[in-house]
Amino acid sequence: MTVATNPRTHVRGGYSLGRYIAMDFRRNLRNVGNSFFVIVLPTALFLFFGASMDWSGEPVGVGNVSAWTMIAIASYGAAMATTSMAGSAALEIQQGWGRQLALTAMPHGAFIVAKAAIAVAMAALPVLVLNLAGVFTVADMPPGVWLATVALTIAGSLPFAFYGLAIGLSFRSDAAVGAATGLLVILSFLGNAFMPLDGVLLDIGRFTPMYGIVALARYPLTDGDLVSMGGAAGSDPLWMVLANVAAWTVVFAVACLLLQRRRTTRR
Amino acid sequence: MVSESVISARDVRMSFPDGAGGHVRAVDGVDLEVARGEVLALLGPNGAGKTTLLDILLGLTTPRSGDVSIGGSNPRTAVQSGMLSALLQTGGLLPDLTAGETVRMIAALHADPADVDEVIDTAGVRAFASRPVGKCSGGQQQRLRFALALLPRPEIIVLDEPTAGMDVSARHEFWDRMRAQADEGVTVVFATHYLEEAEQFARRTVLMNRGRVLADGPTDEVRARAGAAYVTVSWDPTAAELAQVPHVVRADREGARTTFRTEDSDGLARYLLTATDARGLTVRPASLEEAFRLLTEDSATPGETERPVVSADSEEVRV
Repeated sequence: MTVATNPRTHVRGGYSLGRYIAMDFRRNLRNVGNSFFVIVLPTALFLFFGASMDWSGEPVGVGNVSAWTMIAIASYGAAMATTSMAGSAALEIQQGWGRQLALTAMPHGAFIVAKAAIAVAMAALPVLVLNLAGVFTVADMPPGVWLATVALTIAGSLPFAFYGLAIGLSFRSDAAVGAATGLLVILSFLGNAFMPLDGVLLDIGRFTPMYGIVALARYPLTDGDLVSMGGAAGSDPLWMVLANVAAWTVVFAVACLLLQRRRTTRR
Repeated sequence: MVSESVISARDVRMSFPDGAGGHVRAVDGVDLEVARGEVLALLGPNGAGKTTLLDILLGLTTPRSGDVSIGGSNPRTAVQSGMLSALLQTGGLLPDLTAGETVRMIAALHADPADVDEVIDTAGVRAFASRPVGKCSGGQQQRLRFALALLPRPEIIVLDEPTAGMDVSARHEFWDRMRAQADEGVTVVFATHYLEEAEQFARRTVLMNRGRVLADGPTDEVRARAGAAYVTVSWDPTAAELAQVPHVVRADREGARTTFRTEDSDGLARYLLTATDARGLTVRPASLEEAFRLLTEDSATPGETERPVVSADSEEVRV
């Protein structure tokens, strides 16, 4: 039995990007290590630190401490998802899968669209799971604020796609992408995500990449007001939060651009 | 049969930086016409420029200069329409997908793919379809790549060293499957560094080295050139005697021994032992690498004692 019949006319352009995205999404979801770190671990962190502490029910802004913690841990999970998705996409392309795809009807740009869609879907997963966990435990916010923070959490994870891409382009190994994802724990700590910082750590933290996206996602809840263990809390103006997000987005994006240029000239 | 060109490359050139400020000419002015239904072997040692040339034919690499036309359109269009497909040498697979999933995933990206189950059977992937690609053997991965190459129901298949990493029986089986495709009228172009593969499977062989085409013609003819042998005898001939010796490509004298390079060692040996007083005859076949080197030397710098050679850049001999 043979497949080819000749001569024959071909239909053009009928490839199914949707099916490719669905299959690749399932493949990434099935990656147990990945899914554990992106979904299970943040959810466990929240249930432990965000939903069962004595102070979880204390008021913060228009909600409570539990909501304040939930938003940040969701940001952490979403950033991990986009980092590892973008990093592994860079590796796939460099390890020859890109050549395989170049032999199909799919244009190169469609691969980026597909990966972006998968990265957003993967980022949405921990956000949805965490927010559901929040709904069923003690987290509390007005519904409108809740929806706004969910949207901002997912949007805020996008700069980290550039971060993952830059790592994938410069180190070309799964281990490097894993390390970059792991580094997000430290960046999230400095980004005021896990526990309220003050003093020198807060001053340093303001300039780190996770700080901006966490503060932005919390903005509808807190209006920029800081939470502090000691009681002496300050406030972050919106422009400062946006400046952090914009600056780090530019840094990561330019890094990708430079790395990509270096890669193409070397060939 | 009307000989209609489905692959046409004219004066294709490609070079890469060599890391020391200069350029390596990976493909250096290649002309190639392939007729519909032809099975062509691209034979050459490692680094001959085979992979670069195939990448150019597939539109994966843009040549520095020259024209490539596949079935009348550019390579990228030919690939997107499913007319042209390929089995690539390395990489190209995701280790955490199963073989079957890989076929399904790539099928989704073709405009008019063949039936997935049919392809899985044709390429011999059925037995390990549910195994993750990362756990498949080299030969199995090669069969999977073959399945992917069949998906768009191509009219032209390009294979880059398709049997690399296969044992003898797997190699045999692979070529049986490939032959079935060729019998259906599929045009096949494959790169190899095994002379045997070219002999067994291709009626036409293009011999490449250092980015240039050294010979292009019926495989038998190319083999005769590539499969040269050396005949060495103890003999002290005059120039006139030497000039009469048949089947000689080149003669070198070293003391009392004279070494002939020949395409017909039997004929030459018969002549030397019966018509001259040459003694102590030995025959040594030239290795393929040696043949490549000699052919390159022939086309570059003719030696002093050299006899007229079948010029390496003579007119193409067409099937």
